[in-house]
Amino acid sequence: MSEACQIARKQDLPPPGGYKPIPYKRLPAKQLFSGYTIFAGYIGMTVGAIYLYNLTAKQIKKHEIEMRSAKMAIYPMLLAERDREYLKQIRRNRDAEAELMRDVPGWEVGTYYGERVYKLIPPDTLVEPIFHEYYAHSSPSDWYRRAYIKLRS
Amino acid sequence: MVVTNDVELPTFSDLTVPEVDLTTSTLMTAAPYLGKACEVINNEYMLCRYELNDPRACIQLGKRVTECTLDFFRKLKKNCLEEFNQYAECVDKSSGNYAFGPCRTTQAAFDGCMKDKLSMERPDFGYFTRPRIHCSPRPAPESPPCPCAKKFPDATPSLPDSVPRPHSRFSGRFYWTTD
Repeated sequence: MSEACQIARKQDLPPPGGYKPIPYKRLPAKQLFSGYTIFAGYIGMTVGAIYLYNLTAKQIKKHEIEMRSAKMAIYPMLLAERDREYLKQIRRNRDAEAELMRDVPGWEVGTYYGERVYKLIPPDTLVEPIFHEYYAHSSPSDWYRRAYIKLRS
Repeated sequence: MVVTNDVELPTFSDLTVPEVDLTTSTLMTAAPYLGKACEVINNEYMLCRYELNDPRACIQLGKRVTECTLDFFRKLKKNCLEEFNQYAECVDKSSGNYAFGPCRTTQAAFDGCMKDKLSMERPDFGYFTRPRIHCSPRPAPESPPCPCAKKFPDATPSLPDSVPRPHSRFSGRFYWTTD
């Protein structure tokens, strides 16, 4: 026991000069802007942004109107072309159906074994076929292409 | 499936006319002038198409629309071909959506040529988006007579008025309210 007191050992002592004081007081965050400054900054930034936006928004709207105007100008011509091709395809579909169901007893083209599908409309009305019916006799690549364009635009 | 033999469809020979085989960029660049040149027949065709709601009824008008477009392009080709080609190339290659913005100088050259040779002025940029008045020689179709619901002679008779009518239980908008 007495020998332990004479040999110098490394001890875990406080640093020379003692520990620094432990901070216990509250430290609130540093306030860069006051409340009103923040409101004023927000409003100022909004006003500035509205001004900068409006500088090009009018121009962009005019471009859009010009584009739309050009598209509307050519639309009747394209619609006429499309109508002709549409009616041709409907005729091809009807002929294909007649050909396919030629030997089926009781089948009349455009009806369900002689019974009309739409009963309350005049018999001469053209009921525009649905997508799958219109492309029933075409190759799948045709209707994939059309469906892709239709869904994308 | 629903197109019977009673439905009158035009024949293939009826529907075969010389078509306008032009690219979108060509059509878009010529659009303002084309629209102005063929305005009357275009309006007539659209009126027919939307009033009668049937593509078969407006085939003759459609043929005249295509004919008008072809005539216009023939005139254009004879007179202002170089300027038009330059402008169309610019519109085609300057942007991804046929924007007219980047091509104002070529547009000015084309406009000048159209003014000099064909005395056609470009309508202002929103002309075709505005509604236009069109005097049509065809009278308006008659609207369906009212009342529009069909009356059936052997309809099921309804209950007499003396039957008690209790308050409905789930009359509210929400499923949890019962009053």
